[in-house]
Amino acid sequence: MREFFRDLWRILWADKSALTGAVLIVCYVLVAIFGPLFVHLSSFGHQSAAYLTPSWHHPLGTDSLGQGIATELIVGTRPIMEVGLLAAIITTFVGVAIGLLTGYLGGWVDIVAMRIVDIALTIPGLPLIIVIAAVIHSSNPFVLAAILSVTGWAGLARAVRSQAISLRTIDFMAAARIQGLPLRNIVGRQLLPNVGPYVAIHFLLGITGAIYAEVGLFLLGVAPLSGTNWGIMINLAMSQGALYTTKSMLYLLCPMAAIVILQVAFVFFSRALDSLFNPRLRVQ
Amino acid sequence: MISYVGKRVATAVFIIFVVVSLSFFMVRLMPGNVMEFLENQLARQGDLTTQQIQQQVNAIYGVLPSAPVWRQYLEYIGHICQGNFGTSISHPGQSVAHIIANALPWTIFSVGVSLIVSFVVGIAVGTVMAAAQASRFTKFITLVVSFLSAVPNYLIAILLIYFLTDTHRLFPQGGAYEAGVPIGWNLPFLSSVVRHSVLPIASYAIVGFGGWALQMKGSAISTLGAEYVRVAEARGLGRRRIMQSYVGRNSLLPQVTLLALSLGFMFGGSVFIEQFFNYPGIGYYLISAVNSRDYSLMMGCFVLITVSVVFSNLIVDLLYPLIDPRIARPSVGRKGRPSAPREIEEQPAPVGGTMA
Repeated sequence: MREFFRDLWRILWADKSALTGAVLIVCYVLVAIFGPLFVHLSSFGHQSAAYLTPSWHHPLGTDSLGQGIATELIVGTRPIMEVGLLAAIITTFVGVAIGLLTGYLGGWVDIVAMRIVDIALTIPGLPLIIVIAAVIHSSNPFVLAAILSVTGWAGLARAVRSQAISLRTIDFMAAARIQGLPLRNIVGRQLLPNVGPYVAIHFLLGITGAIYAEVGLFLLGVAPLSGTNWGIMINLAMSQGALYTTKSMLYLLCPMAAIVILQVAFVFFSRALDSLFNPRLRVQ
Repeated sequence: MISYVGKRVATAVFIIFVVVSLSFFMVRLMPGNVMEFLENQLARQGDLTTQQIQQQVNAIYGVLPSAPVWRQYLEYIGHICQGNFGTSISHPGQSVAHIIANALPWTIFSVGVSLIVSFVVGIAVGTVMAAAQASRFTKFITLVVSFLSAVPNYLIAILLIYFLTDTHRLFPQGGAYEAGVPIGWNLPFLSSVVRHSVLPIASYAIVGFGGWALQMKGSAISTLGAEYVRVAEARGLGRRRIMQSYVGRNSLLPQVTLLALSLGFMFGGSVFIEQFFNYPGIGYYLISAVNSRDYSLMMGCFVLITVSVVFSNLIVDLLYPLIDPRIARPSVGRKGRPSAPREIEEQPAPVGGTMA
C-alpha cells in the first residue's frame, strides 16, 4: 500500500497536469464538505443589490436577486458532487458485479446478461435519462443518481467480463476452484483485485459522465429547479436573459467555469492513474 | 455472410421491440400514471361522459384505458408497427408521426454532417500526431484536445450563442432557416439553412474531434510498431506510402467500430444543442414535449431517436465487412482451417461519456 502511494506521488510529480488535476479535485471536495459551514445564502434577496460588479463583499458580483455569485457557487458544489459520486458508485458496483459474475459463471446467465448489456449500450442514454426524469420528476439525490446510472453500467460490465474470462484460465483461478472456495471468495478475493485498476479509472470517468448528464437535466429544466447548484444557476441566468445583456455575464460564466475546471481535473487525474496501473505506458 | 447479416438484423429488431415496450410501460405503469392524469383532467372539465373521455384518451395514446393491460400493450405495438404514434397534446390536431417526420431530417442532417466533420478532422489530426510523436506540436495539441474532450457540449453551445450571435451577431440566433424565405431547392433557402447550421454543427464538432484524434493517435502508434510496417520500411517504401496504405488503413479499423457507438452519444447531445439553438429537430421536440407534459410526443421522439441510432449501427455493421473482410468470413487467410468467428465487439468501452 505504501509503495502504491509512493508510485502515485512519483507519477503525479512527473506529470504536472495530472498533479494539477489531483489538487483541484481535493479543493472541490473540501469546498463541497466544508463550504456550506462558512457561507450562507439569504433566503430573500435585495432587489437593490442586483447585478453588482465584483467587490470585496461579493468577489464575483451578484445575480438578479442580489445574492453573491461566489456564495452560490460554493453552496452549489455539494449537490453536484454528491449526485455525481453516488451515480458513479451505483454504475461501478452494478457494472463490476455483473461483469465478474457473467465472466466467471458463463452459460445462460452470461447469454441473458450480455443481451441486456447490448440493449443498454445501444439505447442513447441521455434521451432515456431525460424521459425517465420527466416521468418520475424527483429532486431526491438518491433517485437522481439512480436515474443517471440507468445505462452507464453496461460498458463497464462488458469490459470487466472480458477481463474475467481471460483471468478464468490462469493458474491461481484453477487453484482456487480445486480448493473448493465459495463463489463469494473467488469473485471478491481472486477476480476483483485483478480488474481493480480498470475499475478505478472508470469510476473517475463515471463521475464526469454523471455530472455532465446531471447539469444537463437542470439546464433543460427537466429535473425540478429547487435549491442551488451550478446547473440551476446557468438555467436561471439564461432564462433571466443573461444571453442578451452583458450585465450578468459573470452569473452565466462562473458556474460554467466551475464545471469545466472540475471535468478537466478529473480527466487529467484519471490519465495519471492510467499510467500508474499500466506498466507499458509507464516505461516511456 | 448471410448468417452475419441475419444476426445483425435480428439484434436490431429485438432492440427496437424492447425500446417500444419500455416506452409503453413507462407511460402506463410509472408512478403518477399519465393516462389516469389525463382521464382525471378531462373528467374535471365536466360535460363529458365516461365514454367520451375514453375516446379522447384513445385518440391521444392510441389505447383504451379501460381494457386490460396486456390488450393495451398489443394494441400499442400494433399501432407503432403501422407508424401511428397517437396525437400530440401540445400541438393540437397534429399527429405525432407528422411532427416527427418533419423534425427527423433536421436532426439527421446536423448530426450526420457534424459526425463526418469531427471524424475527418480528428483522424487527420491524430495521424499527424502519431507521425510526429515527440514534436512540440503534438504535445500542445494533446493538451488542447484532452481539455476540449472534457468540456460538455452544451457549454460550448452556450458560449457560441453568447459570443457569436448576441454580442457580435455574426450568425443568426436560432431556427433552421430564416422566416419568409421560400422553402425549396433555391439558393436563398439553402444558404440560409447553411448559415443557421454552422453553429450547431460547430458545437458538436469542437467537442467531438478531440476524441477521434486521441483514439487515432493511440491506434496509429500501436500499428507503427507492427512487424509488417518494419518490413515495409526495410523494403525502402516511401514514408508517405507507409503512412497511408500500411498504417492509415489498418489503424482506421477500430475507429469504424467506434463510429457506431458515438452515434448514440451524438443523438443524445442533439437534445441540448437543438434546444439551445431552437433547431427544429427531434431533440428539440423531445424537450418541448417534456416541458408541456405531452407524453405521446415524448415517447414518439424517444422511440424514433433510438430507432435512428439502431438503424445507423446496423448500417455500420453491414458496411464493416467491406472494410475488413475478416469479420464476415473468419476463415479467409487461414486456408482450410475452420476457426471460431472473431467477435468485433470485444473492445474496451470508449473513454468518457459513459452516461450518455
